[in-house]
Amino acid sequence: MSFHSLIRPALAAVAGAMLIALLPFTAQTQEVGSGTLYGDMRTVTQDLLNRAAGDGNNFLHTNGNYQQTRYYPSRQINTSNVGKLRPAWIFQTEVVESMETSPIIVDGIMYVTTSFSHAYALNAATGQQIWHYKHKMGPITTYCCGPNNRGVAVHGDMVYLGTLDAKLVALDAKTGKLVWEKQIADPELGYSETMAPTAVNGKILIGTNGGEYGIRGFVKAYDAKTGDLLWTFDTIPENSVGVWATHDATGRDMLRDIAAEKTVLAAKGDPYKTLGGGVWQNPAVDLAMNRIFFVVGNPSPDLDGGIRPGDNLYTDSLVSVDLDTGKYACHFQYIAHDVWDLDAVSPPILVDVKDKDGKMVPGVLHGGKTGHVYVHNRNDCSLIRYSEAMVPQENMWVLPTANGARMLPGANGGVEWSPMTTDANQGLVYAINLHQPMTYHVESSPYPEGKLWLGGAFKVIPTEEQWGNVTAVDYNTGKIRWQVKTAQPMIGGIMATAGGLVFTGEGNGMFKAYDSETGSVLWTFQAGAGVNAPPSSYTVDGKQYIVVAAGGNTQLNYKRGNNIIAFTLAD
Amino acid sequence: MNRSLWAPLIGALLFVCSSPNTATAAEIPAETLALCASCHGEAGVPTAADIPILWGQEFYYIYVQLKDYKAGLRANETMSGVVADLDKETMQALAQHFSEQPWPSIGYTAPAYEAGKALAALSAGQCVQCHLGGYEGNSRIPRMAGQQADYLERTMQEFKNKIRLNSAAKGSLLASYSDDDIAAMARYLAGL
Repeated sequence: MSFHSLIRPALAAVAGAMLIALLPFTAQTQEVGSGTLYGDMRTVTQDLLNRAAGDGNNFLHTNGNYQQTRYYPSRQINTSNVGKLRPAWIFQTEVVESMETSPIIVDGIMYVTTSFSHAYALNAATGQQIWHYKHKMGPITTYCCGPNNRGVAVHGDMVYLGTLDAKLVALDAKTGKLVWEKQIADPELGYSETMAPTAVNGKILIGTNGGEYGIRGFVKAYDAKTGDLLWTFDTIPENSVGVWATHDATGRDMLRDIAAEKTVLAAKGDPYKTLGGGVWQNPAVDLAMNRIFFVVGNPSPDLDGGIRPGDNLYTDSLVSVDLDTGKYACHFQYIAHDVWDLDAVSPPILVDVKDKDGKMVPGVLHGGKTGHVYVHNRNDCSLIRYSEAMVPQENMWVLPTANGARMLPGANGGVEWSPMTTDANQGLVYAINLHQPMTYHVESSPYPEGKLWLGGAFKVIPTEEQWGNVTAVDYNTGKIRWQVKTAQPMIGGIMATAGGLVFTGEGNGMFKAYDSETGSVLWTFQAGAGVNAPPSSYTVDGKQYIVVAAGGNTQLNYKRGNNIIAFTLAD
Repeated sequence: MNRSLWAPLIGALLFVCSSPNTATAAEIPAETLALCASCHGEAGVPTAADIPILWGQEFYYIYVQLKDYKAGLRANETMSGVVADLDKETMQALAQHFSEQPWPSIGYTAPAYEAGKALAALSAGQCVQCHLGGYEGNSRIPRMAGQQADYLERTMQEFKNKIRLNSAAKGSLLASYSDDDIAAMARYLAGL
């Protein structure tokens, strides 16, 4: 008998005893899953959410952080090496339709959504599916511009999703199983959800679509644990008349017939119950002020102002309310009594800006469908300045006519719903824009109880050129720093990084990295379907990734697909 | 919770889960289905070129159309008579029944020479924003792909000429189209 033959049984016995001794710990470890010495890193604490702007591992908010800067602080991928960016993995979802999701990444787990309110959890390093939540859609859905979904919110051990049939659902982040579900509003009356919710201080905030259906818009706050409704802010107050503004935020005459409007108001009263005012995108959160800032969409019906007298407050406005109560704090209306659907949709960004005297103050930026970036004082929502127009403007504000009046921008114009991004080191805000000429047609019709209610029609002019651009604007001066034209109108979103880059995609499938200082195109990738979703970034095992959805777009009819593509640097 | 309380709760849940389609196809009177089939076809292929395919159409769209015929919002001599005595449950059951049938192929081939004209017209109206890519509709928006060409043309003309009044937005949009554009769009969509 050799030494080895003697020692082996002894070692085996010791090992066996150790295994038995460790069994309870092993079982405990398996239950925790992602537990570490420092706690469960996959539980999204409020502290993590608060610090997201400086978090180079995760991507915790739809627009990166509560300020919604979409500025990612990692610089591993930068101007000097972005040329080596390659696909790391591609995940294909079950749904081949318009994709507008902002991937959310928590400790190496990615959450994405698709049209028709599906959600997936993926391994962010490999693209392997962990779970798939397929919402049991009700038989009635009413929505505009595609069955889109723009992503989830994460909080604690839960994932939150708004659905096309106007529900808010809470899922177990580990399993994707439904924890609770709340009906937000009635889809038969035109309400639907495509936006990602926002999670903050134990609340889940969500707005609504429906400005094309005569809804009464809102932002609601729900208890993150129970789903109980905490407060509602109606975006249309019972007195929606306002100050009878005759000029827009840039000082141009909107050609309103105030006398005629007053006559209608006296005869029919305030139209607030069916006045629209959807909130399509996430609010920015100022934790110090304990206030949120969001923008409110167009009045209903879109093109027919004759039956909705007044300024139609708070449509086409930046609005701020108290985070705990939903109580009104301030607002600024860009276009009173809008009859062009050039409303406010792109999510606001909180940055410090120079006021008119050159003094730095807390500011708010909003990119308009008009093609202007508007710069506000955060304290009272007042306008400090607006940028040069990023797209052509012609014939503003000609009123819609029965046979159609041409005006630029078209109703799919300027920044649209696409989120912007900022680089505070350069004092720049980056926007993607659309130029799509249209004619505006008006035809009055009564409230149709949940059916499409435009008060006329928008018509693209097929003989005119359409295009887009990526534009960098100095928000302290309003001047355009650089601008790059693209072959097609742009929609989807954009992200800046500390690597000196901005990433954004196009309807023709091109996904590009630009030098954020100069606009030079440093890298391109053909994704095979429209890249019309905002990119995200994250780091796993020491590697920084850029990720984006390539699923095309319903609104502009860009080639559909179903891909989530993650990129990292080639070795 | 007391066990005896579960039964009514489960019953209530089942009721809620089955809503709004409370009547089943089995409860639709045979003569009503036969009446539908006499125009819309025994196997889903209509008996005349300007009668729409119902098999495989969206549930909520069919239900709303039946409601609108009954309310006089959509005028049609034949359909007004058909729906006059239908209650809400039967209309929902009919919509459910037809939406669950397979969409039939009518084997229509659109003339290739006018595809460009049709696509330009569809793009100008941003038609996919509601009818979706592939023009297959969803919920309250009807499928147009593979629908009967003559029906599509007739109903678009009725929107244009304010005969069909149950979707004002469609009326405004189609009023901006020429008859040629409407005919081209109808043939293109039927051929999908």
